[in-house]
Parts: sequence; structure tokens; C-alpha cells
Amino acid sequence: MKKTLIDTNLQSKVYRGGKEEATQSYSTIRRGVDDAANKGRRMNANLYKDPTNIIITGVGGQGNVMASRVLAGMLVNAGFIVTIGETFGMSQRGGSVMSHLRVSSSSVLSPQIPQGRADIVIALEPVEALRVLTRYGNPDVAVLTNSRMVYPMGVITGDFTYPSLDEVRTMFEKLAAKSWIIDATSVAVDLGNPVLSNIVMIGALAGTSLLPIDRRAFEKEIAKSIPAGKHQINLTAFDAGAKMI
Amino acid sequence: MSKLLSPAKTEVLFMGNEAIARGALEAGVSVVSGYPGTPSSEVIERLSEVARERNLYVEWSTNEKVALEVAAAASFAGLRSMCVMKQNGVNVASDFLLHLSSSGTRGGIVLVECEDPGALSSVNEGESRYFARMLEVPLLEPASFQEAKDLTKWAFELSEKIRNIVILRSVTRMSHASGNVICGKLPEKFRTARFISDGSVMDPLRGPVVSTPVVIKHGLQQKKLQTAAGLFEKSPFNSYTGPKRPELLIITSSACFLYSREAIEMLGLQKRVGILKLSCTWPLPEKLLKKYLRLTDRIMVVEEVLPFLEENIKVAAMGMLKEIGMKTFYGKMDKTLPSAGELNPEIVVAALSKIMKVKPASLPAAYVKEIQKVAPKIPPRAQTFCPGCPHRASFWNINTALKLDGREGIVCGDIGCYAMASLWPEIGFHTVRTLHSMGSGTGLASGFAKLAAFGLDKPIMAVCGDSTFYHAVIPALINAQHNKADITFIVLDNAGTAMTGFQPHPGINESAIGDPLPSIDIAAICRGIGAKVAVSDPFDLEGTGKILTSFMAERGTLKVLILKQACALSPEKKGKKQFQVKVNEELCLGDHCGCNRLCTRIFRCPALTWDREKKKAVVDEVICAGCGVCYSICPQKAITRTEVAQ
Amino acid sequence: MVELSLKVKENSQKFLKKYVLDEGLCTGCGACVSICPYQVIYRDRTVQLHQCDLQDGNCSAFCPRTPADPAALRKMLFESADLTPEIGAVKGYYFSRAADPELRATAQHGATVTVLLELALSEGLIDSAVVSTRNQEFLQEGVIVNNTEAIRKNTGSKFTVSPTVAAFNRLVTKEAGNVGVVATPCQALALAKMRISKTEEFENKIKQLKLVIGLYCGWTLSVEKYTKLLLDKNITPESIRKMDIPAGKNVLEIFTDDGAKAIPFEEVQACVRDACQYCMDSTAEYADVSVGSARFAGSWEEVRQWNQLIVRTEKGKALVDLAVKKGVLEVRTAPEESLNELKAAAVNKKKNALKNIIRKSGSVKNLLYLDSRDPAVLKYLTKEVFNKKVK
Ligand SMILES: Cc1cc2nc3c(=O)[nH]c(=O)nc-3n(C[C@H](O)[C@H](O)[C@H](O)COP(=O)(O)OP(=O)(O)OC[C@H]3O[C@@H](n4cnc5c(N)ncnc54)[C@H](O)[C@@H]3O)c2cc1C
Ligand code: SF4
Ligand code: SF4
Ligand code: SF4
Ligand code: SF4
Repeated sequence: MKKTLIDTNLQSKVYRGGKEEATQSYSTIRRGVDDAANKGRRMNANLYKDPTNIIITGVGGQGNVMASRVLAGMLVNAGFIVTIGETFGMSQRGGSVMSHLRVSSSSVLSPQIPQGRADIVIALEPVEALRVLTRYGNPDVAVLTNSRMVYPMGVITGDFTYPSLDEVRTMFEKLAAKSWIIDATSVAVDLGNPVLSNIVMIGALAGTSLLPIDRRAFEKEIAKSIPAGKHQINLTAFDAGAKMI
Repeated sequence: MSKLLSPAKTEVLFMGNEAIARGALEAGVSVVSGYPGTPSSEVIERLSEVARERNLYVEWSTNEKVALEVAAAASFAGLRSMCVMKQNGVNVASDFLLHLSSSGTRGGIVLVECEDPGALSSVNEGESRYFARMLEVPLLEPASFQEAKDLTKWAFELSEKIRNIVILRSVTRMSHASGNVICGKLPEKFRTARFISDGSVMDPLRGPVVSTPVVIKHGLQQKKLQTAAGLFEKSPFNSYTGPKRPELLIITSSACFLYSREAIEMLGLQKRVGILKLSCTWPLPEKLLKKYLRLTDRIMVVEEVLPFLEENIKVAAMGMLKEIGMKTFYGKMDKTLPSAGELNPEIVVAALSKIMKVKPASLPAAYVKEIQKVAPKIPPRAQTFCPGCPHRASFWNINTALKLDGREGIVCGDIGCYAMASLWPEIGFHTVRTLHSMGSGTGLASGFAKLAAFGLDKPIMAVCGDSTFYHAVIPALINAQHNKADITFIVLDNAGTAMTGFQPHPGINESAIGDPLPSIDIAAICRGIGAKVAVSDPFDLEGTGKILTSFMAERGTLKVLILKQACALSPEKKGKKQFQVKVNEELCLGDHCGCNRLCTRIFRCPALTWDREKKKAVVDEVICAGCGVCYSICPQKAITRTEVAQ
Repeated sequence: MVELSLKVKENSQKFLKKYVLDEGLCTGCGACVSICPYQVIYRDRTVQLHQCDLQDGNCSAFCPRTPADPAALRKMLFESADLTPEIGAVKGYYFSRAADPELRATAQHGATVTVLLELALSEGLIDSAVVSTRNQEFLQEGVIVNNTEAIRKNTGSKFTVSPTVAAFNRLVTKEAGNVGVVATPCQALALAKMRISKTEEFENKIKQLKLVIGLYCGWTLSVEKYTKLLLDKNITPESIRKMDIPAGKNVLEIFTDDGAKAIPFEEVQACVRDACQYCMDSTAEYADVSVGSARFAGSWEEVRQWNQLIVRTEKGKALVDLAVKKGVLEVRTAPEESLNELKAAAVNKKKNALKNIIRKSGSVKNLLYLDSRDPAVLKYLTKEVFNKKVK
């Protein structure tokens, strides 16, 4: 068996403020470009597939980006290497939004999941789930979607039709190994803010046990990323979601 | 505490732009300037949040050229400074950059430019790597999140070592992607500024900072570049991964490294293909290159957009032909990879599988069939102006005025959300007909207005946003006024740089870090140059319409209309509705003659939806911004609005 | 003739654009305006703001310049015995004027229109009336009035287009009650088409229309061209108090703040709105009564204060009879020559219109909005008319 050669110029020196000084800890530089440097990481859980490719999708303004950050944060806290690829910019203006999350125990992956390679699709809007499946789906993919429809402009104007929820369900059956359709928005509206549907969905994802995430991990992550005043409502949303599965 | 200030050795999830920001903090940067532009803006945004704690001066400058000048001054005074912009911003800054790179710098200075291959949020696929070659300055390109941080820090060290500016290039898929980063140490001491200029013109640290004597300074600049090349030869940021004798060597940089590595794994080619990842891409480390070019005869260069790396490698390989022998190159030039649009793992897989004669795994045919059945049933989701967007109302006004005028007037567009009115005909009532760089709409209008003598006698309009106004419109406007161009110039003033996330600009009375600043009044500037100026609220359809039609009827001069209304997403508005809006079903004519769904078919606010069963319009309370404009357009007065107590 | 089937293929609004607006046939009557948000009048032009995709809309159904069924319209409004090919239905033909000389002095001619309107109001036949008012420069607007004072404020003829029907569409609400309209021939035709179309959305409103007083009409002027002509002659639109066309002088008289001026007729003719070249109607054939200038032998100063009055319907007759009975209107028998002259002038307008239409369409088979099967058209399709087309 041929051996893989890794060569990273480990002896270099650089100059700083006129004095010669060692650059950094080279092991950190190698992180990201050199899988071997990631060997021996300690994870406190296992993935059912390594890497796990997750796509979170929805419509601009639904809190997609926040959902992907919270989920990624939980997984990083658990010791995994996570890459998120996002397209934003104009996407807040009512377009489709998609975040690619790639979770691995050893490797930094490209921020774009290759076609046909999604493992889990989480959708805040049903046709967005379908849109993602037609590009990234495969016979093993699992889908979790919010049932609340957001009609695209073309549907409002009457140029296009939107499939019924039953049709969506049958399409899921054809395109995914597992699927869950939940009305996260209603739960969020009952909690007082439709935007919480993203957290309800994260709770539901935890409920599916597809990923090594739980309530404690969620609590730990939001302690860092969400203002204290909002912890309780987010926990309630998470729990409500977990119960829906 | 901001995540950006995480303690050393902790592992955090950073967006590429945050990693760059953290790298700059670790390098002890003092002054950061820039102009907002996707995908670069978060670098400055995040730094402005920690500016007080880290003793930083952070500035959103008027444009990229001024931003670079502001950063350069700090370097001249011995501080470390950074200037951040998107790809085409470098074009704006390039005149100063030419002179700066020739005068040399003192404190470490890094120009961070974030490019947008595939134009995911740009109207160009501009390449700035060529500026590094043309202006003879070093270019660095991080290939992972950790590297984005570490390379940024090192860029300052390199700049100080060679006493010249260093360009660090990122791309959307790096800047806007996130990954694990282990933090380094933040410096405890801050530098003080001293500008010494009484020495000899040849003294890089004590003399006046000038680019003369040109030929001598130019020669010195080239020596600096050689020094950089020497450091690149030994830099840990360039690395090779792969077998000792690969059948194919991929040379790559930036996010393309991740795509290439993934493609190799997907095809199971780890033992046949090696990757030389270069993070120091100009000047090329030729010795290092030679070492790896010798490993094999077949080379594929993987990079986005133009064949910058490929050209440089080929030129270098030509010079070492005797030692390395003839090679076969794959890349852009032989069309193995596309020269337009972004890359992704699939594109590299396709190229690799062709060269290596392997078949990529494919989905089961039955599954593909199902996809083909489902795909046509998915309605497209086009972008549009947000609910409550002032631009929808502004274009409604402009479009109406143009139609009433009846002479098929021409509207020149500019850069901002409102550019959507030129990109997709169904947005903004198909109003805007040209779209180029910042400020160019006004310049074009000034030119169009002079074509009447050649038979193009039409009303000419230009629109621009408030931030764009300060950035590059003012010279064009002065040109129009001075040359008596008959144009109606419209400022869509939505109180901030909305498209990139509400960064302040000179019209806002606040700095990047929230300190009070004097705001500069657009109307006063326009009046100052002698133009006729009116200010209106675009939500006042009647009032605005009257001004517009009267402006168009008035021939021979420059007229300025400032349409003031804050962006629907602006922090001051977000969540607050001015009106509670409802559709009175009794009055709504729906799709009957007499209305035929003006609101949902033509006006197209996403919050106005169509109830298929009842055949009536309905307001989606969840996303309605409460602007109340739909009340003014409904011919039946079926849309009612009640003011919400604030 | 334009096949009506085209209308189905192209949708109403596109049809209107292609066959009326783009062809220069639009009279500016305003029938397609203010019935929906898509057509508006700006200055004296009818503008389509946005696209509408309805197949069978009111805009093209109401427009006086889209194909209609004239036989059905006549049947709905008139008794067949009264019909004449030249000037439509005639129950009676008189000279008339207001009994009140003061009122005559403020009116265009004999103030017959004003008298009849006032009477209809005071008798409760109508609750309000749509008349034309001058708002700025030569830009007319329709207004709704319901008292003598308001009616008298708006006397006098305006020789540029008044989108009176748009005002009917916009201002006639349920509260307006029964309504009378003072209309030029094209406007009267539009109102008649509205009556017959009986569409769901419009049914209630058109039921409120109880009286149409037609005005004779030779042409209207294009605002743009006419303004330019006046400015060239140093006459500002604001200074004009009244305009008239005195019989037999070949000039347009303009009474301004600085006295009377006369503009040669050819110069005025050059400012006529394109659409008027294609108009067949000079006496408002679809009205209840039609009123024009008397024009009979005698001094113009005397004649000016008399009207010609054609009574066309029972309703019109009752109103005129009542006016005479109440002593507010003086009526005398019109001399025979006057009717002959009127008919000759009307025939002349019809023939000219046909000539112009054929010249425009390039074929006698295509009469644009007119139907060659209509006897009132066929009669004037003489050799003399269609030989001109080669020109
Ligand atoms: C454009 C135009 C062309 C005409 N051409 C001729 C002609 O060629 N031969 C002829 O004999 N008579 C013509 N007339 C009619 C004539 O000018 C008088 O209107 C008519 O004799 C009635 O006079 P009066 O004194 O009863 O009118 P008034 O009592 O003064 O009442 C006139 C009424 O007509 C309305 N009106 C004025 N201008 C318009 C308009 N542009 N559109 C609709 N309503 C209007 C006013 O609001 C008012 O209610 C024309 C009128 C117009 C408006
Ligand atoms: S514009 Fe008014 S009448 Fe027309 S569909 Fe909308 S709400 Fe109904
Ligand atoms: S008020 Fe009307 S136009 Fe404004 S956001 Fe709500 S629905 Fe849209
Ligand atoms: S709504 Fe009716 S009247 Fe208006 S343009 Fe459409 S079809 Fe014509
Ligand atoms: S003639 Fe009247 S109805 Fe026809 S297009 Fe012109 S204004 Fe509209």
C-alpha cells in the first residue's frame, strides 16, 4: 500500500516586528487542510454516517440561518468538525434559502454538498423540501418538513400551482427513506412568534434521533448564542418540537 | 462576550469572514476601514462590535478608494491596518493602490477582498487576483476556515516584513461558509501612532511617503516581491497531500482545494491523485512548484473564474522546462473546467473522472425518474421586493409617471436592492433598463440626455440608493448639472445600506460602532450644485406622482427627487407596523373586470395573497409590514388600513 | 371590418390598445377609464398603465371605437319610425333658447342645455348631473353637480376633450341617485354601449343613468397642438373666457381678458384631434335630446343666442314639453333649410369619416370599428367615398 505524503514546510520562520519568530502552532494551520491533524479528536457521540450531510432550507426571513448556526454550534460543542455553506445576500428578499451542514469527526469538507448526497433535509417550507430533494436527494435521505406553505410570487399571481400537502406527502414517499411533516408554524404562533418555528424544527430533529443532539446540548448552545431573556421561550419551542415526532 | 473574543485555544465555529476578523485581532490591528459589499461586509461588522474592547478604529468609508487611503494612513503611522471590500471595490481603489504599492507601507497593512464567483450576490464575476500581479504585490488565499484566521494574521507579518501592502483574497463560499477554528492569542499591548517624515525620500521608515523617484522605487518594490516569494517557498500555508508518485497533480487554492479534495475522495482516487494546495498564490513559490511539478507529467489546475493560477504556473513551468520536462496541463485553457461561474465538487468530479477514466457513482435510475416526475411540479420561488419595501412604491410611481408621459423614457439603474428592477422584468414593473457599477446610472443618464441631438429625444431618468449616492454618484451628478443634461435623477433613500445589512453611510448620524456623527444631507448637496430638488415619501403615491410628472414635463435641466422612506427591514422599522391592513371581502372585486387582481397580479407585495376558494385578496398578517401602500392602489378601496398606535 | 372574434383571441385590453389607442382612434371619452385601475387619462391622452388579461372586459365593450351592434342600440333607445340615416332619431326639431336673457349671456349659445338640466334636477327626474369643467389650461374634467349654481358655473363649450364618461364612472356612486349627462356624440355612444352591455359589475350603475343631453360636435382639438398654436399667437390659456365658431366667418373667435381675437380656420383645423377624422356622428345620435348652434340666416349676434334642438326620445320630449310649459325655454319652429343644411353637414361628416377610415385601413373591406352591414354606414359607402382611398 502506497503511503500518503503530507508535506507542510514545517520548518519555516517568519518575521514579525523586525524579529524572527516562529509562526504559530503548525498543528492548527494543518487543521482544515490535513485530516491527519484531526486524528485523535474526542467526540462525545457518534454519527450514524460520517460525514453526515444536512440541508436546512426555507424561505428568506424564516430563520433558516439561525437554525443552521444553532445546530452546527451544538455539534461543534460535541466535538465534531462542522462546515456550513450558506447562500445569503439577496436571499432575504423572499427567495429560497439553503444552508449545507456537513458534520464529520475527522475532516473539513467543502461548503457545498455534492448533488445527490444529502442525508438529512430539514425544511421550514414544504416545496423547499421538494426543491432540495430533486437536487440533493437519494434513496436513503431522511426529510423533516414544516407543513406551513409560503406561496411563491408566481403562485400568488396565478402563473404556477402549488402542490397540495397530500401530493407533497406522496412525493416524499417516493423520494425519501423517512419523512416527517409537522405543523411547526402553528406551534410557534401559539408560542407567540411564528419565527420560533425554526427552533420547533430543531427540537423535532432532536426527536428523530438522527443526530447526536439533545435538550442539554441545545441549552448549552443557546446559553452562548441567544440573549438570556429568550432562553425559556426557545427551550419551550424546542420541547414542543421534540414532542411532535 | 462576542464570539470573536473567545480565549486562545478554544475551538469555535467561525464564518470565514469572522475568521478573517479574528486573525486581524490576533495580529493586533488598530484601524479597519472598508465599504460594504457582499460577501465582505461581516468582517467589518464583527470587528465594529468589539472595537471598543479591542481599541480599534473601525470605519465604513464613503467608497473603497477612500477606505484604502484611511487604512494606509494608519500604516504610515506604524499601526497595523486592514481594508475590506468586495471584488469590484478593488477596481475603485486601484488607482490609489497603484501608488501605494510603489511608495511602500510601514505598519502591516492588508487589503481583504472577497470575490463572488458565480455572482451569487453581485452583478459581475470580477477578478481581483490580477491586480496583485499587475500592481506587484503579494496575494494570499485561505483554503479553510482555520487558515482564513491564521493567514490573515500572517499577512500582517508579511506586510511588515516587506514594507508593502498584501492582498488577501476570499470567496463567497469561504467568507459566507463556517467551520471550526481554534483561536490563537490576542495581543495585550496596543501600538501608538507616529508618523515620521523628515528623513530622506529613500528612507522607507523616516522619509516622506511618496512613489518618487519612480524608477528606483519601482525597482525596490520588485525586490520586496522577491522577498515575499522567498518566504512563500517555506510557508506552511502551502502544502501537498497525496501519493509520492501521483498520476495526476492538482494544483489549487482557496475553496477549490476543498472541492478538489472531496472530488478525489468521491472517486476513490486518493492513491492516484495528489493535491498541491497553494495559499500564497502571487508571486508563485517557484522552487516549491518545481519540486511538485517533477512528481508527475499531468497537472490539473483547479481555480474559479479566470485561469490566473494556471497562466502563472504555465509561465513558471516554461522557465524550468529543462528540469521538469514536458507536461500536460488541464484547466481552463483546454476547457476541462469552465472559466465562468463558480465551481463545486461535482464539476471537479466530472473533470477528474474524464482525465482518470473512472466513473462517478450515480443515483439509481428509478430514483432519477421519480425526481424527473416531481421537479416540474415545484413552483419556482423568484426573488422580489420585501413586503413594505419602499422600492416597490418608488418604482410604482416611476413606472406610472413614465407611462403617463408616454414618450418611453429610459431609466438607468444602479447597485442596490433596487437593481432587481432591472434584473427580472417582473420585479419593479419592468422599469429599469441599464445596470452597471456603483454610480454609473447617473453617468449613463448624463450621456443619454445628450443624444437628443442625434434623434434619441426621450425623458431620461436615473435611480440610485443613498449609499451609492455618496460612493460614486456625486461626480456624475456634477457632470450632468454642468453639462446641462436634462435628467430626472431619483435618490431611493431608504436610510442605510440595506442590501448588505444596514451599514451606516455619510447620510446616517452614526458611526460603524454607534458613535454620533454629523450626517451629510443629500438634498443640500444637490441644491449646492444648482439642481432643482424635491423630497417626497414614495408611499405618498399621489404627491410623488405629481412631482415626477411635473419634473418630466420640465425640459432642459437636472431635476432631483429624493424619495425618503426607510427600508422595511431596517432596524428602526422591523416588526413595527404603521397600519393594520385588511381586505374587505364585500368590496374586493377579485378577478372580476374592474380590478382583475391589481394587488396580487401587478402590485405584487408578497403579503397580499390570493384566496383561491373565495376568489378574494387576503393580507398575510404574518409577513405584512404594515406600510399601507396597498390601500392607495386598490381601485375599490377594498383594502382598509387603520393606524396602529405606536 | 374588424372581426369580433379577434376580441376573444386578444383580450379586451390588448384589443383596445391595438385597434383603438395605437390606431389613433381614441376619442378621449373616458369610457374605459375609472372602471378599473388599468386605463387612465393623462392630459388628453388615454394611457394603459398595466396589463390586464381578462377576455371579456368592459373597457373594449364600452369604447365607442370598438365594433358595436348599432341596430340593437337603436332598437333599445329609439322608436324605429323616428330614425333618419343622416341625424338619427328625430321626434322633433326646433330652435330654442333660455327664456332668461342673463342665463343666455353666460352660456355658449341659447343655454338650452343648462335650462334642460336645471329643470330635470328641479323636477326630480335626476338627482345629479355630470357636466364638463375646465380645470387647468385646456385640460377638462367631468364633474358631478346637483344644484343650479354648480350647473351655471360650468356652462360654455370647451373645444378640447373632456373625459366626461370617466367622470360618470368615477363619480356616480349610489348616493348620486339618478343621473343626467351632457355628452358629445362619442360620449353618448359610449353611454349607450354601457346601457346595452349590462355586465354584472356595471349593471347597477348604468341603471342610474336617466338622461343624456347630446351636444353637436364637429371635432375636438388636441391639447398639445392647440396650446402651441395659441402660445405662438401670444394667447395664454388662462386668459381665455370663451370660444366660438361664428357662422360663415371661417374663424375661431376667442374672447380673452384683453378682448376678442380670431384665428383662421385652417390653422385651427390643423389642431384637430386625429380621432375626430374617423367619427361619423355630428349630432349625438344616441342622446335623448341633442343641442347645437342655431346657424340660420340672420345676424350672427342674434343667432348666437339660439340653439338647434333635436328631440329623440319620449323622455326627451317630455322634458322639452315641460320646459316650454313652465316658460323656461323658448321654442320656435326651425326653418326647413336649416334642417336640410344640418343633414347635409351630417352627411358630409359621415362621408369624410368613411374616406379617412378607408385611407387608414387601406381597404374598403376593413372599416375599422364600423360595420359595413349597418345600413347607416352602407348608405354612405358611395363610389365617391371609396375611390378616394387611392389617394
Ligand atoms: C367639442 C365641441 C364641439 C362642438 N361642435 C359644434 C358644432 O360643430 N356645431 C354646433 O352646432 N355645435 C357644436 N357644439 C355645441 C355647442 O358648442 C354648444 O355646446 C351647444 O350649442 C349648446 O349650447 P348651450 O348654450 O345650450 O350650452 P351651455 O348651456 O353653455 O351648456 C354647455 C354644456 O356642455 C358641457 N360641455 C362643454 N364642453 C364640453 C365638452 N368638451 N365635452 C362634454 N361636455 C361639454 C358643459 O359642461 C355644459 O354643461 C360643440 C360643442 C363641443 C363641446
Ligand atoms: S386591488 Fe382591491 S379590489 Fe382588487 S383584488 Fe386587490 S383588494 Fe380586491
Ligand atoms: S400594507 Fe399592504 S403593501 Fe404594505 S406590506 Fe402589508 S400587504 Fe404589503
Ligand atoms: S379590468 Fe376590465 S375594463 Fe379594466 S382593463 Fe381589464 S378588462 Fe378592461
Ligand atoms: S375612445 Fe373612449 S373608451 Fe375608447 S379608448 Fe378612448 S377613452 Fe377609452
